[in-house]
Amino acid sequence: MIVRITSGITGFDELTVPSDDLGFALGGIPENTITLLYGPVGVGKSLFCHSFTYQGLSTDEPCLYLTTDQNFSTIYHNMEDLGLSLQEYMEGNMLQVIDASNGEKMEESLTHQASSVKNPTDILVKVSRGINSISQNNPRFRGVVDSITAILESNDEMLIMRVLKSYIVRVKEAGGTAIITHTQGSADLRTEIIIKSMADNIIMVDGKTLVIESMKGLGQKKAHYEITEEGLIVGKEE
Amino acid sequence: MKKTHIPKLDDFLGGGIPEGSSVLFYADPGVECEAFGYQTLQSRLEEGDHGFIFTNVTEPSSILYEFEKFGWDLENEVKKGQAFFVDGSSYFIGVPVMGKYTIEDYSQIEEVVHKAITDVPDGVGVINNLSALIDYLDPGETVSIIKKWNKAARENKTVLLYLFTEWDYETDLIDEIKDSMDCLVNLSTIEERVIIGQGFMVTGATWTTPSSSMVLFNILRPGGVKIFIPKILVTGPYNAGKSSFVKNIAPNSVSVDKMALGQVPTTVAMDIGHMEHKGFVADVFGTPGQERFDLILDLLSKEAVGAFILVDSTDPPTFPRAKEMIKKCKAEAIPKVIVANKQDLPDSLTPDEIRKAMRIDQSIPIIPVSILNNEGIDEAIDALLEILYR
Amino acid sequence: MSMVETGIPGLDELLSSNDGDGFPENTATLVYGPPKVGKSIFSYQFAYHGLDLKEPCLYITTDDGIKQLTQNMMDFGWFLQGFIDEELLYIIDSISSLSGVRVENTATYASSKINDPTDLMVKVGLGTRFVFKKSNEFRSVFDSLTTPFIFNPEPMVVRFLKTYLRRLKEAGATVLVNYTEGVASPGTERILKSIVDNVIMLDGSYITFKSSYDFMGTAKYDITDQGIVLGEGEIL
Repeated sequence: MIVRITSGITGFDELTVPSDDLGFALGGIPENTITLLYGPVGVGKSLFCHSFTYQGLSTDEPCLYLTTDQNFSTIYHNMEDLGLSLQEYMEGNMLQVIDASNGEKMEESLTHQASSVKNPTDILVKVSRGINSISQNNPRFRGVVDSITAILESNDEMLIMRVLKSYIVRVKEAGGTAIITHTQGSADLRTEIIIKSMADNIIMVDGKTLVIESMKGLGQKKAHYEITEEGLIVGKEE
Repeated sequence: MKKTHIPKLDDFLGGGIPEGSSVLFYADPGVECEAFGYQTLQSRLEEGDHGFIFTNVTEPSSILYEFEKFGWDLENEVKKGQAFFVDGSSYFIGVPVMGKYTIEDYSQIEEVVHKAITDVPDGVGVINNLSALIDYLDPGETVSIIKKWNKAARENKTVLLYLFTEWDYETDLIDEIKDSMDCLVNLSTIEERVIIGQGFMVTGATWTTPSSSMVLFNILRPGGVKIFIPKILVTGPYNAGKSSFVKNIAPNSVSVDKMALGQVPTTVAMDIGHMEHKGFVADVFGTPGQERFDLILDLLSKEAVGAFILVDSTDPPTFPRAKEMIKKCKAEAIPKVIVANKQDLPDSLTPDEIRKAMRIDQSIPIIPVSILNNEGIDEAIDALLEILYR
Repeated sequence: MSMVETGIPGLDELLSSNDGDGFPENTATLVYGPPKVGKSIFSYQFAYHGLDLKEPCLYITTDDGIKQLTQNMMDFGWFLQGFIDEELLYIIDSISSLSGVRVENTATYASSKINDPTDLMVKVGLGTRFVFKKSNEFRSVFDSLTTPFIFNPEPMVVRFLKTYLRRLKEAGATVLVNYTEGVASPGTERILKSIVDNVIMLDGSYITFKSSYDFMGTAKYDITDQGIVLGEGEIL
């Protein structure tokens, strides 16, 4: 029996209900797995991550959010616009943020740390600390890496693959479920094969169609999706 | 001469390693070779030398943990400044670096290790390991770098210990590497479809003619490298004290009679135990003494490499039985020591008297022992090990 | 020559010959294909079927730690604990140490480091000896080459693999090695295919088996919640 967690993206959980005779199975993202979400720029990958994160927070699942393109302030405001307010999660340690973007950084605290894509060792140290502190009191948590692309661009790709593997091993060991976003075609073919190999589930989005290329316990699935003012809305299976 | 304090190795090396020499520990894949480098470093640090470890396969923190498992406190030596790391591993897997020098690009390796060598004149450096270097630098470069390092070591009187797993590289490359070293120590597997043991042997040294013997070893945690003696028999007449002897030298021994071989209270089958004595470990097998078990003595004594023959010093009528058991255990041909037990009793014979009575050759030591009073036992073990590893 | 049953429905029948159903015994087989086509599932099934037949297994896991491996197999209803208790399954876990977690070694579990092939080979030697004592007909799985290629130079992984195959075949094992196409360079891939006896290719729809003596078979396959199942196949 594969346990799934609710994704927070409208229509996604319905799409991912396994064809189960008993009719008891629920859809969502398989727990304790790594999902690669890839596609071109601007197709809604970050929005997917926002909804995923908020869904967790609102059901008492903490989230460790590593952002490399948007600074946290942008994320906060984008999520406000979607009606997903992070206000109540700014205090406490439900939301741990590592902001490795180039933009203006928030004031640092135990749960909001700054880093840089040029310093993957620093990212890994902060992420590890974050995982340790989150998982101490929580049997499950969510993780977001948005995106791995920016880190690949600034470093030796194989070094990043090792760092990514370390991240994945730590998340899984601690009971987490993570999404990693990537802009396809921006790295070596070999690197992209490795990333796909390291992930458990692979979802491709291209602006119009969402394709679940691989998911634990599920065959391939395809559906139209839209970016709306409330976030992504996934349609019925095609 | 720098002693390694690895049992028997210093003897094979003619006393130890001369300052400034390079030693290659080359191992068959499957044999643990790190312990040789680490133990030598530990011994040198304990005698006040400085040292470093260059690692490109595991992070310094893991190495500290390995030392801890061996029972050695490297962390303290690093704190004191006696030892340091050249960290050629952490950066490449994205973990924080640790050490006096760190490597962030393979092109830095030559220079940085060179600096480390000059930092520890009259000390020791461990290169862990050479196998990985061959792939990061290219083969020709590797040999020339090794030569430069060895030259610097000679000039600085630093001993360099190279750890190398001999995967299937080109033979020319391996020969070139070996030629550039002052000393070669082979760590090999002993195989019979699977690896059943490991042994070390000095196969070359520029300062001495090495002994041509191979010695079996085990790596103990804690403890380090120990010579392994696969099977030592403890035999002798009934009631001479075999069980007590085995229990004394191998404290965790098991008496197989307890495993439902019958309701008879005396030892009906074997005592089996594991002995650790100074630099040696051995598996010890105590045979039953009663005549009715003679038929299995032959089987039990197969492949024994040494034997303790226990006799009751107060009971000469049992001496012929002792000689008979030596024969039945096929112990005539293997190194043995007669353990003359019960020396605490008033009417016990002296070793010389026993030798005359049993007509035992001068070459076989007879050691007076009182197991009851725990006397003479160390001497008995030393005597056997002495013959085994003369 | 005797055969080793894979336990994958349809495959043993496809590969049947006068000598029996399944893989030739004491050979090395490379299972390769793109990511996510079922290679790991294939090796779980192979290992589990052997355990069911009381054939011990030396399982080297490099992509997933023991916790994940056990969980992954449980998802298909393959429970390992009983076999671990019976000491039929010996696991070498060379990836958990990356998370900093120190798992206690037991009689049938050893941990190693992914970037230290020397240490991994030492553990392989110990594991092989342990399993060999249980039975000289046993299986071994190397799942997979991906993570070793990420952490070690390609030639080192190849050297390791050669030694591993030699050791395991010498001890009488039937070996399965997983490899994701594209993770290593084309030259290295050619070498990998040349040092094994048989090759199984999975592409998401078709499974193709090619042995060293030119026997070839292919069939459609599916990944179900019971594992891999073959459809109609043909010998080529």
